[in-house]
Amino acid sequence: MATIRILIVFAVLSGLVAYLVYLERKVLAFMQARLGPMRVGPWGLLQPIADGLKLLLKEDIVPSGADKALFLLAPVISVLAAFTVFAVIPYANNFLITDVNIGLLLILGISSLGIYGIILGGWSSNSHYPLLGALRSSAQLVSYEVAAGIALVGVLLISNSLSMVHIVERQQQTGLWNVFVQPVGFFVYLVAAVAETNRAPFDLPEAESELTAGFHTEYSGFRFALYFLAEYTNMVLVSCIAVTLFFGGWLRPFASVRWLDFLNYGPVAGLIGAGIFVLWLGWKARDTGERGFFKFLGVALIVLGVLVAYPPVLAAVQGIFWFTAKMLLFLYAFIWYRGTFPRYRYDQLMNVGWRWLIPLALANLIATALVLYFISPHAGLGSG
Amino acid sequence: MKELLRRIFLVDLIKGLKLTFSYQRPSATYTEQYPLERPPVAERYRGAPRLNNNPETGETLCIACNLCSLACPENLIVVGWERTEDRRKKLTTFTYDLSRCMFCGLCEDACPVDALELTQDFEIAEYSREGMIWDRKTLEEGPEPSRYTR
Amino acid sequence: MPEATFLDANELVINMGPQHPATHGVLRVILKLDGEKVVGTECVIGYLHRGVEKIAENRTYQQFAPYVDRMDYVAAVTNGMGYCEAVEKLLGAEIPPRAQYTRMALAELQRIASHLLWLGTHALDLGAMTPVFYTFREREEILKIFESYCGARLTTHAFRIGGLQYDLYDNFERDCRKFCDYFLPKIDEYEELLTTNRIWLSRTKNVGVLSAEDAVGLGSTGPVLRGSGVRWDVRKAQPYEAYDKVEFEVPTGERGDTYDRYLVRVQEMRQSVRIIRQCVERIEPGPIFGKVGKVIKPPVGEVYHSIEAPKGELGYFVVSDGTVTPYRVRVRPPSFVNLQAFDTMVRGHLVADVVAIIGTIDIVLGEVDR
Repeated sequence: MATIRILIVFAVLSGLVAYLVYLERKVLAFMQARLGPMRVGPWGLLQPIADGLKLLLKEDIVPSGADKALFLLAPVISVLAAFTVFAVIPYANNFLITDVNIGLLLILGISSLGIYGIILGGWSSNSHYPLLGALRSSAQLVSYEVAAGIALVGVLLISNSLSMVHIVERQQQTGLWNVFVQPVGFFVYLVAAVAETNRAPFDLPEAESELTAGFHTEYSGFRFALYFLAEYTNMVLVSCIAVTLFFGGWLRPFASVRWLDFLNYGPVAGLIGAGIFVLWLGWKARDTGERGFFKFLGVALIVLGVLVAYPPVLAAVQGIFWFTAKMLLFLYAFIWYRGTFPRYRYDQLMNVGWRWLIPLALANLIATALVLYFISPHAGLGSG
Repeated sequence: MKELLRRIFLVDLIKGLKLTFSYQRPSATYTEQYPLERPPVAERYRGAPRLNNNPETGETLCIACNLCSLACPENLIVVGWERTEDRRKKLTTFTYDLSRCMFCGLCEDACPVDALELTQDFEIAEYSREGMIWDRKTLEEGPEPSRYTR
Repeated sequence: MPEATFLDANELVINMGPQHPATHGVLRVILKLDGEKVVGTECVIGYLHRGVEKIAENRTYQQFAPYVDRMDYVAAVTNGMGYCEAVEKLLGAEIPPRAQYTRMALAELQRIASHLLWLGTHALDLGAMTPVFYTFREREEILKIFESYCGARLTTHAFRIGGLQYDLYDNFERDCRKFCDYFLPKIDEYEELLTTNRIWLSRTKNVGVLSAEDAVGLGSTGPVLRGSGVRWDVRKAQPYEAYDKVEFEVPTGERGDTYDRYLVRVQEMRQSVRIIRQCVERIEPGPIFGKVGKVIKPPVGEVYHSIEAPKGELGYFVVSDGTVTPYRVRVRPPSFVNLQAFDTMVRGHLVADVVAIIGTIDIVLGEVDR
């Protein structure tokens, strides 16, 4: 049973990451008054497949003098660390791979292992630009891990448990998403997450216009694709964590408010809305081949929406729909930041991490602890 | 105080975010998808050269005065002529080296009879260097590029 | 190359090669680093040298005009204006007012276009990848006006010695006014995206400071000089065309850092809109060509004439020996002289600032190398 779920999660995740690249290009393009990929398939939908094929067919260059074993191993470490963590994230109350009672600790631990992939990649390239880029990148990641970790301890305190499922259930019980209880913690976590994934405005180590072109300079072909994959998977990962810990995971907005139960039809509305949007896109498409595809897709989505309205199906689909919707909003925010902000210089980046975020996170932690102590019965922490 | 609040609540960053968000409407997209949508070219555009013919008689308007060749900074026009019986000049060959042309328009300005004209054609790519040297026939007919519609 | 290993943090020599996405052309910068701090630089130029000044000795005055566009290929109209004015000064020719106002309007449009390109690429170097698309869209509108006027967008060859070749096309005034109305709110958009943005401020404030004495001593002109607080604009100090008849302000900075130069250029765009509006009002019907013969053979003599190109003071020194070809044409490119200030500006900064400082000087290698 668990094996099937693992396979499903792995397949869906791979597809999601591949199409996240496409989504990023499209969203970034629209923000920049242009169109993005349009030629490969209708509205460029086959672009990730074309890119993947291209990277697979490229020559695999291993620099001479490179430490061959480490060179081959480094991207694998990054990807493995990124993918493994998805085993402990609860996607819905009825769909999760496993619920470990130290889930949060496991997440922080395994995702930190991904940093080895970066260091080893830069080291084994036997070239000083990648090494400098790798050292900078790993220093940045380690600093922001600290900030993220401390921010998450605040959530830990109010939920009294490390298990991800338990944290979500706590939010359901109190009827309040953790973001309202821990706004500062959320903010610190959000900034740290953007820095963790090497995304703008903290993407100096991998910017093209800088001298050190990043740890993945010497990588080509599919190994480069693996690093890329690891970065986007990390993005999905931190979005999932943020959603689970701060935004109620699989809970619908106002989950405990009875009179807002019509929101349960969110999946239906979402699917039908997506179908109408696709039909509108098809109406604006250029040639009949594309138009046909969009009509088909739009109608299929609307039919799916109607089917989902059947109550048992609706109940089953609820959790995963809300989780996915919130996660997509986070991913959209990542892309939004990339399109808007300039880049921080490296020393300013470290400045922000050590002089602003960590003190803020510590202050948040102390404040949370004090508040909890004073509102609880004075025998120990944890309210009833 | 107001400054401090602005800094805490990231007002400057949110302003930028609002702007880029507002650009996602379809009316803001500025892309012109070539080759499906071709750009509108101005009337005075200095594009591919053409040797004009008299529309009624079909004969060339060029009087082989060689002014265009003298005006060209790159000396890439070669005009060949011969004398007819009544001691007038008749154009025989006209060679224009498009690979060195910088489309400055001095030849077009120099021509007294508007025979040589830089048209609005901008699709003048060729597959070989020799193909860029146009003879009289190509100049009169114009380039025939393959039109892609997909 | 360094004798010590690169892990020894003293005096590492790094080459920012001619092919680099951020050097605005084929500029090679050799950096001497102490850890991350830059302690010395050397600019190696000449990768784009095409011998333009030598070509001038073998072309007639009119034939040389198209070559001039290709020096500062971002702002071709002002290049042509400077050259034509220099030769007209040598000839002692008078330009009719219709031609003058048209030249001014086109030159100011070109100034806006050049500053737009500068803004887009500078923001892109610093990581903001959206302003470049917005500025290029506005630039597209300007290039459409150029295309309708003279037939080319980039290498315009818009002006002739003695006046204009092309009279205004039918909708020129309407297009210019429409552009001005369309463009002013766009400048506000760019400012919204960048001017108060804390990341932009931390990347550009106190980066690349050039004091006023240094700026004047190194011969910088244009926004580099004005950003350091020196109010010198050739349009006001030595007016040419009809610049003394239009009203505009010359924005200056205070500290001479990258942020001030950014503000100066953005304000200059606003002032250019003001000038264009005034010029378009004042275009009267009339001749477009002065009393210059078909064959241009200036008397023996020499002239130096400079104009305020978007990048600084662009000067032409034309020596005539009485024949139809000039004896010598020497161009004083603003980017070349401004680039001398690079070393002073970049000492003591970090490697990541090198890109910002190259961007803020606004160089075009076509001009630096000719």
